[in-house]
Amino acid sequence: MRVLIVEDDLEAAAAMQRGLNEAGLETTHAPDGAEGLIEAQKGGYDVYVVDRMMPRLDGVSMVETLRREGDQTPVLFLSALGEVEDRVVGLKAGADDYLVKPYAFAELIARVEALARRRETGSVQTVLKVGDLEMDLIGRTVHRAGTEIDLQPREFQLLEFLMRHAGQSVTRTMLLEKVWEYHFDPQTNVIDVHISRLRSKVDKGFDKAMLQTVRGAGYRLEG
Amino acid sequence: MKLPSIFRRTPFRLTLLFLALFAASASALLAYIYVATASEARRRADSDVRQEVSQLESIYRAQGPDGLNQALVDRTLRGGEFLFLLSDKDGKPITGNISESPIVGFTGRETWEDFRLSQTDDEGKVERRPARGVEKPLGTGERLFVGVDIGDAEQHLGRITQALWGAGALVVLLGLGGGVLISRGVERAMGNLNQVVAAVRDGDLHARAPVRGARDEFDELALNLNAMLDRLEASVAAIRHAGDAVAHDLRSPLTRMRTKLEVALIDAESGKADAVQALETALSEADGLLKTFNTVLAIARLEAAGQAPNQTVFDAADLAADLAELYEYSAEEHGIDFQAEIQKQLPMMGAREFVAQALANLIDNALKYTPEGGAVMLRARRKASGEVEFSITDTGPGVPEEDRQRVVQRFVRLENSRSEPGSGLGLSLVAAVAHAHGGRLELDEGPGVVDGKGPGLRVALVFPPA
Repeated sequence: MRVLIVEDDLEAAAAMQRGLNEAGLETTHAPDGAEGLIEAQKGGYDVYVVDRMMPRLDGVSMVETLRREGDQTPVLFLSALGEVEDRVVGLKAGADDYLVKPYAFAELIARVEALARRRETGSVQTVLKVGDLEMDLIGRTVHRAGTEIDLQPREFQLLEFLMRHAGQSVTRTMLLEKVWEYHFDPQTNVIDVHISRLRSKVDKGFDKAMLQTVRGAGYRLEG
Repeated sequence: MKLPSIFRRTPFRLTLLFLALFAASASALLAYIYVATASEARRRADSDVRQEVSQLESIYRAQGPDGLNQALVDRTLRGGEFLFLLSDKDGKPITGNISESPIVGFTGRETWEDFRLSQTDDEGKVERRPARGVEKPLGTGERLFVGVDIGDAEQHLGRITQALWGAGALVVLLGLGGGVLISRGVERAMGNLNQVVAAVRDGDLHARAPVRGARDEFDELALNLNAMLDRLEASVAAIRHAGDAVAHDLRSPLTRMRTKLEVALIDAESGKADAVQALETALSEADGLLKTFNTVLAIARLEAAGQAPNQTVFDAADLAADLAELYEYSAEEHGIDFQAEIQKQLPMMGAREFVAQALANLIDNALKYTPEGGAVMLRARRKASGEVEFSITDTGPGVPEEDRQRVVQRFVRLENSRSEPGSGLGLSLVAAVAHAHGGRLELDEGPGVVDGKGPGLRVALVFPPA
């Protein structure tokens, strides 16, 4: 997987490259929006990680230009601005996800992988399958090895998100943002409790634990 | 500051322009009056003369030269305004009250002419008065001259002209004086405003323009300027306060982190602790610090803006139900009976994200401070006043009445809560969110002491109706 990092802070870019390389991702760095645009136009990238504020061409303008040119490569915006309106502006410009600096590497890697993966499964699916777990999106039913699992609506949404990102780490913040649509950080680990409930329904009575905890990062659904 | 010279000031320039316009139109009016009056006087003189001539002619026609002569003698004796002279065909005077005809080179046809009449008054002063007359041939070759003194009319006209010029001069003088006065007044008002603007430009945000109480446009400008400055000053103060608050609020957590890192370094060096573990601790400390920083910043921004950003109308009932669902399992995990009582359809105006966070903070607090076996109740309802009220009631230890004001302040944590994790910013943020929506945060006693538990705390977050 190839990631283009467009970031004017060279130290931050170097750290980011190390982190992503460590996770097995191939990275290229461009020091500003103009260079980033040229690099992106060469093609062959799976995800763009773009800093919002840069000299010469800022991230918003760069992404807007790419989208106008028909480039649909997923974009992860990085920004030191965490305000609601800043996120709205970023997403409106065509970004697919928004991460506020500073962030944990685990968070960055999880989000980059999620974006890259989303691209692979572009077609509309009505049934999701991970291992012996099967989710019918139309009938709103879930079966594991033929046994129906009864889920609350929110549990269904949570499992759907995990299944769509099966094999990848997803962080608590990602779950809170994508499943509950909250962009703040609750003090208590509310997500952990929901996961453990879901785990008890999905994994109880089976030998293989599918819903795994990834230390320092979050959770992963393994097939 | 230096004011422009009087000739460059707008009111004075306007006065000059007005005066010039006035002088021009007054001169035109004067010229018209003069011409009209003069021609009227002459027309009347002509008509009088013509009438007299026709009378004398009819006498001449009826009674012949002797009759006319007699009539002229009579008229001369009787006195009157007219001048007469009857001459023979060679121009030699026969009868009249003047010695020679003022008309020089009579051609034998009726001739009108203006002339001067020399008159000696009682004091022997010679006066030359304007006059007008006509000389006309009579049937037998005699000539008759009739004239009239128009000096009175001309004099009258002259006096009028003089008076008008005098009045004009007076008007110009008064106008100039008035112009200077008006200019001074306007200049004083403008000067005051200019001084304020200059002072603000130089960084003095306290400067305010005096309001003279005249209720004119200058007062209006001064009032608007002052209102603008009030607002500007408040914003600047809020921003400065926010910056100070952020700096102040971060100093102690930073100091604490530095100390911990130092201790960890010493421990790692002496082999008492694992370096990796020390780094992990430091990392989580840094995360905590960043969280604190974000919260402090959010509070400061809300306080500085005075209003929550991106407000929309949303259903508070939905939000409350969502949050109840989010926290339901956590409460169970804590061994707390968590219930929600939510009225249907509670539209409110606000920044949903901030309201959600405030509510989450309150639920977090309630779950944190309520011991196992306790209960937490979330309610959302519309009050009789139309306000939307979220309330969270717990059966924890509560907050003593004297501390309720204090716990809302930043970084204030009560003695018995220090053992719990937390930054002491939760309620401050909730209060800031409430204020930024024109709402309020209320802290009250909970359900009271039951089975040795309580008295509990009831926290209400009240928002104005949508």
